[in-house]
Amino acid sequence: MSPDIDQAATVQQPGGNLYAPMTMTIAEARDETYDTRTLRLEFPGEQERAAFFAKYRVGMFGLYGVPGAGESVFCIASPPTRDRYIECTFRRAGRVTAAIQDREVGQTITFRGPYGNCFPIEEWKGRNIVFIAGGIALPPLRSVIWNVLDRRDEFADVTILYGARTVADLVYKDELADWQKRDDVNLITTVDPGGETEDWKGKIGFVPTVLEQTAPTPKNAVALVCGPPIMIKFSLPILKTLGFAPADTYTTLENRMKCGVGKCGRCNVGSLYVCKDGPVFTIEQVRKLPQDDL
Amino acid sequence: MKVLDADKLTDLAAALARAGYRVVAPIEDSGVVRLAEWTEGATIRTDVIPVNSAKDFLFPRSEVIGRWDLDGADFSPRDVQPDATKTVLLAVRPCDAAALALLDTIFNWDYKDDFYNARRRAATVVPMVCTAADEQCFCTSVGGAPDATANADAMLRSADGGAKFILEPLTDKGNALLDAAGDAAREGEAAADPPAEVPHRFDVDAVTEWLSENFESALWTTLSLGCLGCGACAYACPTCHCFDMQDEATRTQSVRLKNWDSCGFGLFTQHAGGHNPRPDQTARWRQRVMHKFSYIPERFQLLGCTGCGRCARLCGAGMSMSEVCRRIADESKKAPAHES
Amino acid sequence: MDLDRLRQDAAAVLKDGRAKMVIGFRDRAGDCVPAFITDAEQAAELVYDETCLVNPAAYLKKIELKRFRPVAVVARPAVMRSLVLLAAEAQIAADDVLILAVGDQEYHGLMDLAGAAALLNEQYAEMPHDPEVMKRLEELSGLTPEERAAFWTEQFAKCTRCYACRAACPMCYCTRCIVEKNVPQWISTAAARHGNYAWNVIRAFHLAGRCTECGACEAACPQGIPLMLLNVSLARDVEDEFGVKAGYDAEAEPVIGSWNADDNEDFIR
Repeated sequence: MSPDIDQAATVQQPGGNLYAPMTMTIAEARDETYDTRTLRLEFPGEQERAAFFAKYRVGMFGLYGVPGAGESVFCIASPPTRDRYIECTFRRAGRVTAAIQDREVGQTITFRGPYGNCFPIEEWKGRNIVFIAGGIALPPLRSVIWNVLDRRDEFADVTILYGARTVADLVYKDELADWQKRDDVNLITTVDPGGETEDWKGKIGFVPTVLEQTAPTPKNAVALVCGPPIMIKFSLPILKTLGFAPADTYTTLENRMKCGVGKCGRCNVGSLYVCKDGPVFTIEQVRKLPQDDL
Repeated sequence: MKVLDADKLTDLAAALARAGYRVVAPIEDSGVVRLAEWTEGATIRTDVIPVNSAKDFLFPRSEVIGRWDLDGADFSPRDVQPDATKTVLLAVRPCDAAALALLDTIFNWDYKDDFYNARRRAATVVPMVCTAADEQCFCTSVGGAPDATANADAMLRSADGGAKFILEPLTDKGNALLDAAGDAAREGEAAADPPAEVPHRFDVDAVTEWLSENFESALWTTLSLGCLGCGACAYACPTCHCFDMQDEATRTQSVRLKNWDSCGFGLFTQHAGGHNPRPDQTARWRQRVMHKFSYIPERFQLLGCTGCGRCARLCGAGMSMSEVCRRIADESKKAPAHES
Repeated sequence: MDLDRLRQDAAAVLKDGRAKMVIGFRDRAGDCVPAFITDAEQAAELVYDETCLVNPAAYLKKIELKRFRPVAVVARPAVMRSLVLLAAEAQIAADDVLILAVGDQEYHGLMDLAGAAALLNEQYAEMPHDPEVMKRLEELSGLTPEERAAFWTEQFAKCTRCYACRAACPMCYCTRCIVEKNVPQWISTAAARHGNYAWNVIRAFHLAGRCTECGACEAACPQGIPLMLLNVSLARDVEDEFGVKAGYDAEAEPVIGSWNADDNEDFIR
């Protein structure tokens, strides 16, 4: 099943400046790791908030920015079931992310979105959902996880396999603890060999290895995989061996993007634009793309 | 029909300027012919294709798309209005006008880019039929022609052996232009000269088909060796539209720019994490060719190239899109596609 | 010029494996364009004339060409200087390059980098600056600063920041050029006055003492900007101040990047 391509226009007004962002206020900031931060952002007004949530579905992304520094693309890390704010989680990697991280609670940043397509969670009702994430790639899946948990009855088993290089690199540590406590979620956390601390109680092993050990059932299940290229490269064959169909395995591509609206050409891969036809794709769709360009 | 003497093109430009048009025409400057804003005294030359294309005036090299006042950590947006100056693109080429099909599509598919649309609506497009062509021209190989009227509001047709031009309106904007021209184009008769012969250079369908099956071909290395990864071809190309968005600021103001970019530049697809999916010029050149002759056709049912030949004329390293397509078409004949 | 001998030498080095590729020139409808030859038979296509303005040494920075080492390069004196300088700057290994040395009128023959350096010092030590450029520089120096600024403003107004000048130059090999750095943004990326001045002038400064005056940048510029006026002016200044011309000594320290106690200090007042 292919993800819905939600082609509805954004909050752009007819005749308005397509590239004009909204001004969002930082309501909360939380450091996940030494260079990764989560921001909770509030809308400038009720009209903008309502217009955003009329369109937003999990998987969509936005452009976050600071005038003078520029804009950067990240996923929206919170679900539409929590519709008073949006959250984003990102690493301090360059000029724009540094400028955003230098902002304090109460100050503002710019935001454009939501753009892109979404995870077709409506099609997953009654199914088992397996989330596989590595490192900084948990944020794009976290919106889906919360969307599912906020509507828990509609879905069957929920399995989350999340790993990072070291314990310090795990993001959403508080939420991981909450998910661990829930008996309607099967959470497996792991760190790479050598990344454990003395009191680490999770598994030790690379995510693909632990995936193989965990061996979730493919029956009536969909899998969502998000992580560094090497993790994806080794996880996909294991999912295949376990019996997950490529059309039931989803990922989100994190290509370099600038305009977010299918014009600047940067995210063009094959005849697709990651910002318009993605960023959510099934593995079946990803396999059809020119592999060298990913 | 409306007719003017071929050496009176500047009079037409002057009349249109008086009528309130910004006149863009092929102007000579130190031996280089460039589409530029015409001013009194400028020499218009129609005998060679200008080094730049009409794209420059609908989608300029750098454009401000956002403005803010800055005050410490606070910022407030200022209004940015697109440029809607009434403009005539006078004596551009049919290959420039043909390119508008792709530019119109890209800047309007799903989301509408008013920076482009404002200029586009305000522009009257007047191509000149080409009565001469050179070895780099290949419009006829990509569905075009030296006298094609696609996207034209009026046409300038060389007539009476080059002594005159016929100015033929094709749309309402074209009619308005003729009204504004006044006496600069008078009623008369003239016999249109034949358009240039532009020989067919390659089978573009064979190229598109080969491209759909040969992403991994070793031929890409051979085809791309000469390319040094500058942006000259993409900038001169009438269909290339990739752009970068860049902020620049002082302490008190910032602007967000839309700047031309090129898939040929090394950093075009560089990820913040250090990975670059197109790490060498072979991959980047392949993207250039695939985008124009495979991906755009697949997505938009248009070709991403109108055969103007500018890329080949000004490439310092001898790259030629026409030569590349010929080599691919030759390669496609060597073995059936599914065996490559 | 004995093109046959050049072709034979090119074929020979490919045949016996002394080089994996020959970078030279071929004819395309009357124009000289770069050729990349890996088969001895293709060597027959090699041509050379005064329109061969591309500097083939610029191709040595391409990562996908690094597997074709050793490489043989058809090189005129300015190109030989580029290759010597690339070795001095540790960008190429001396035994990774062979030279098919071409002079103004004659083909000098096949040689290694040391041989090329020797040839340069023996026969091309006095390479004059381009007389047209010198004449123009003379005229410009007679202008007032305001007039000169107006001249350059007009020239740089044509710049579209395509970076063909940078791509064509063998000495512009930085993996991230100064104009591509944004923390901070040293040079504005808008093709507007201050960015264009900064780009062209800073590139010329980064080439001071390193430019071998091959002219490839000016030939590559689609807008016809007279870049050699900047580059030759700085090359001449470096020669006057430090007595050094780029590309004659494969062991040389970089002129601007090194100092010695005899350096001219009379500008310190």
